Amino acid sequence: MSRFVDPLVVGRVIGEVVDLFVPSVAMAVSYGAKDVSNGCHVKPSMAADQPLVRISGRRNDLYTLLMTDPDAPSPSDPTMREYLHWIVMNIPGGTDATKGDVVVPYMGPQPPVGIHRYVLVLFEQKSRLVDGYASPPADRPYFNTRAFASNHELGLPVAVVYFNSQREPSGNRRRR
Amino acid sequence: MGYVDILGPYFPAQHGDNPNAIRFIAEASPPNPHSSARSTSSPMAAFASTSPSPAISASTWRMESLRAALPALRPSASAAIGAGLRPRKQAVRLGASASPFLRSSFVSTSSASSSASPASVSSAVSASLAFSYTSSFSVESSFEHRLFGTDVRGRILAMRHGKRIPRLGRPADQRKALLRGLTTQLLKHGRIKTTKPRAKAMRKWVDKMITLAKDGSLHKRRQALGYIYEKHIVHALFAEVPDRYGERPGGYTRIIPTFPRRGDNAPMAYIELV
Repeated sequence: MSRFVDPLVVGRVIGEVVDLFVPSVAMAVSYGAKDVSNGCHVKPSMAADQPLVRISGRRNDLYTLLMTDPDAPSPSDPTMREYLHWIVMNIPGGTDATKGDVVVPYMGPQPPVGIHRYVLVLFEQKSRLVDGYASPPADRPYFNTRAFASNHELGLPVAVVYFNSQREPSGNRRRR
Repeated sequence: MGYVDILGPYFPAQHGDNPNAIRFIAEASPPNPHSSARSTSSPMAAFASTSPSPAISASTWRMESLRAALPALRPSASAAIGAGLRPRKQAVRLGASASPFLRSSFVSTSSASSSASPASVSSAVSASLAFSYTSSFSVESSFEHRLFGTDVRGRILAMRHGKRIPRLGRPADQRKALLRGLTTQLLKHGRIKTTKPRAKAMRKWVDKMITLAKDGSLHKRRQALGYIYEKHIVHALFAEVPDRYGERPGGYTRIIPTFPRRGDNAPMAYIELV
């Protein structure tokens, strides 16, 4: 089978978090030395600090980045879908996420049960959004990416990447 | 002399032979072919008779040659025979067929008999073969490679054509335990990462468990309790499956391949509940 299936479709990110879109902006996410590619595995200890997210695009365009976990609290029982981890708005094109305005501060992955997907979605803003400060999302759980995008008129995303993370076993557990 | 020595010409006395070696000849009994035939077919009884008489020097069975000639009564014997049949490191056991080809080739390659298989020896061998077949039909949980497999009709098969059960490099009991553990973990965590062949083997059992939960009766619940290792998972499964999978007609899992494992380059995959 040489037909190429988008890893976002295979990992059910398109469908559960976002709709089918056409990527138009290049986004490179890295946690320290490890670059994130679709479906790669990142330990929660490595992802405790916010990653370096570099995007392409024109300088006078503004972008919004958000990170959610659609498998909260457990992939077999995602009642809290999705869990919000990070929102950065007004990122100028061609730079990285530190140049934007942080609406929801970064929270590292802490999956309690199972292997969770963590999705980073990039939207292109039509204009500089100021009201993001006024109405940040109230809660981290029960977040909905599609509703957020339609509320702020962001449309379809321009770049998506996701990685997997799993709870690390605590080292001091005595093995019988 | 009042005995019939059937096996004499085929096992001549060797030089330097122990005169106290086990005589396979029934000396005390009257000369009739039936008694000697009976004694040839029960080698255990023959081992017990130890009455040497120097006058009987025509044929002497040596213990090693006798033991080597008879198959599979003890594992060491089968190892020697297997080594004789094929140059393999592992012990080889014969398949379940008692075709004449097998019997004659078996006897001819053993170190004891130098001649073609006579009728009495082959009858002794076949009787012992039959004895060993009944014992080797019991499942041994080891890594022995069978020289021939058989199908349901009893035909010999040397190839794996059409056999769809994944063996996962384990004997049957370990294989079942591995799959039970993997399905328990998948139902507990929702998504696990394992090697691709194991994920593909698991699908059948996970679907079976979900189908049991869809039915929901007490009998099915007890069947699920007999397979899954943790009973709270069974109860949670039976509680939530009708809502979650009520309309889905099968195919409750999804396999997503991922990067190979670093230590042995094994192809890994995520398997998750749809």
